[in-house]
Amino acid sequence: MDYKENISMNQEYVIDGEMRKTIENRKAIIDTFKQELISRLNLPYKPQDLHEDISLLGAGLGLDSLDALEIVVCVENSFGVKIPDSNISVLRSINTIVDFVISEKAQKGEQQ
Amino acid sequence: MRVSSLHDKLAANGAVFGGRYGIEVVSGVAGLSTEYGYIRNGAGLTDFSFMQMYSIPEDAAVTVLDELFAGNIARVRFGRMLHTFLADDDGHLIADCYIANNDEEFIIVCESIVSDTALHEFFERKGAFKAGLKDITGEHVLLSVDGYQAWAVIKERFGVDTLGLPYLSIEVYQFNGVDVRLFRAGKTSEFGYLVMAPKEAGEGLFDALLASVRKHGGGLCGVSVHNDLRLEGRFFNIHAEGLSVRDPLCLGLQWMIDFDKEKFSGKEAVDKRREAGLAKKIIGIRSNAGPELFSVGSEIYNSGRPVATIEAACYSPTLDCRVGLALFPVDIAYSGLVFRLGSADGPAVATISMPPIMPRSLTVKLDEM
Repeated sequence: MDYKENISMNQEYVIDGEMRKTIENRKAIIDTFKQELISRLNLPYKPQDLHEDISLLGAGLGLDSLDALEIVVCVENSFGVKIPDSNISVLRSINTIVDFVISEKAQKGEQQ
Repeated sequence: MRVSSLHDKLAANGAVFGGRYGIEVVSGVAGLSTEYGYIRNGAGLTDFSFMQMYSIPEDAAVTVLDELFAGNIARVRFGRMLHTFLADDDGHLIADCYIANNDEEFIIVCESIVSDTALHEFFERKGAFKAGLKDITGEHVLLSVDGYQAWAVIKERFGVDTLGLPYLSIEVYQFNGVDVRLFRAGKTSEFGYLVMAPKEAGEGLFDALLASVRKHGGGLCGVSVHNDLRLEGRFFNIHAEGLSVRDPLCLGLQWMIDFDKEKFSGKEAVDKRREAGLAKKIIGIRSNAGPELFSVGSEIYNSGRPVATIEAACYSPTLDCRVGLALFPVDIAYSGLVFRLGSADGPAVATISMPPIMPRSLTVKLDEM
């Protein structure tokens, strides 16, 4: 059966300035959030084990409503942005939380 | 080819059949758009009897299953289920599985990318049958009820206490005097249930559930719409990205693995790749390009060079564009970037955060009804 090996494509590609800036900004938030998430919820994973699209509640990590509360506090403490109680859609995945943080910081005019 | 015991019933209701790994499946019934509407707005009934089903006595289950599956079987409490996978000795995916602790037995339901014979041989080789594993596929039907109103269908058939079933749980109910196993599961991002019944009760159960889903604005569905719904909801699909990539780490399935376990099939290979670090991983994409460009196998370009390949693709009615999953080098596998599709000057394709939609079911709290 064919499958894609987890090996480098061994080809060079250019990451231009704007793309690099977007990646670095996002990566910084992801790294911080993953560390906090693992620490606060005592998850048995390394940061690199957590795919950013993994579902946080129900399927995927299977976190419960208490964990969700912990995530809200974690985001507020780490990034200074508050997830409204009514906005459950933000908590779908790490990536949707990071999108929210980036958007909120941009609205506040913070350096991206 | 293995054929569902509901074949004639399905055919009489307009099912169009296809095949996967020597097993017949219902590809579609009313068309993708209609079936999508059933599940997003009402309820869909789908024959999932193509899945491979096993049981094993509780006293043998933990030892036997724990050495095979990637997840931690010992932590599956009574009445609950584990979503995990089965890998070959090279750590490549064979099956996406639910393992349920149903008191005196554990039930294993596999969605595999190998034939019945190949999976049987795998378990045989691992000594699982000698240890008590029993193939119950041929004796049962498995029906999937999914949708925004799926909970209402299940409540109507099995009673109000089904509303209290948490996600990934199993409970036994009666249907016409026969025990049926009800799993709260599903991969559509709407409410989902699997109903496993003895073959003899299959046709009656099918009729009853179909009548209920129709009452709630739904109808009979095929597996094709499930492929699209899984992608839109970013549920892992072993028949799409799972089949082409097969490496659970590149696919982001680390959450299905207990890395602290001493043994599971493929552990050595998986641990080795984890230690080496990922070179590529799969992430979400979207584009306004048509299916001729945005399809499985299409290349994604950055600065004039191909950097990624599309592994799963579909049209999202909710977003009115095509969405998919592509395998990117890890250093550019981030949401919020724009690439080119098909060639250096092809249409734009953006990497996105998944899941890209907010299903209506997430706003419903069954335990507060």
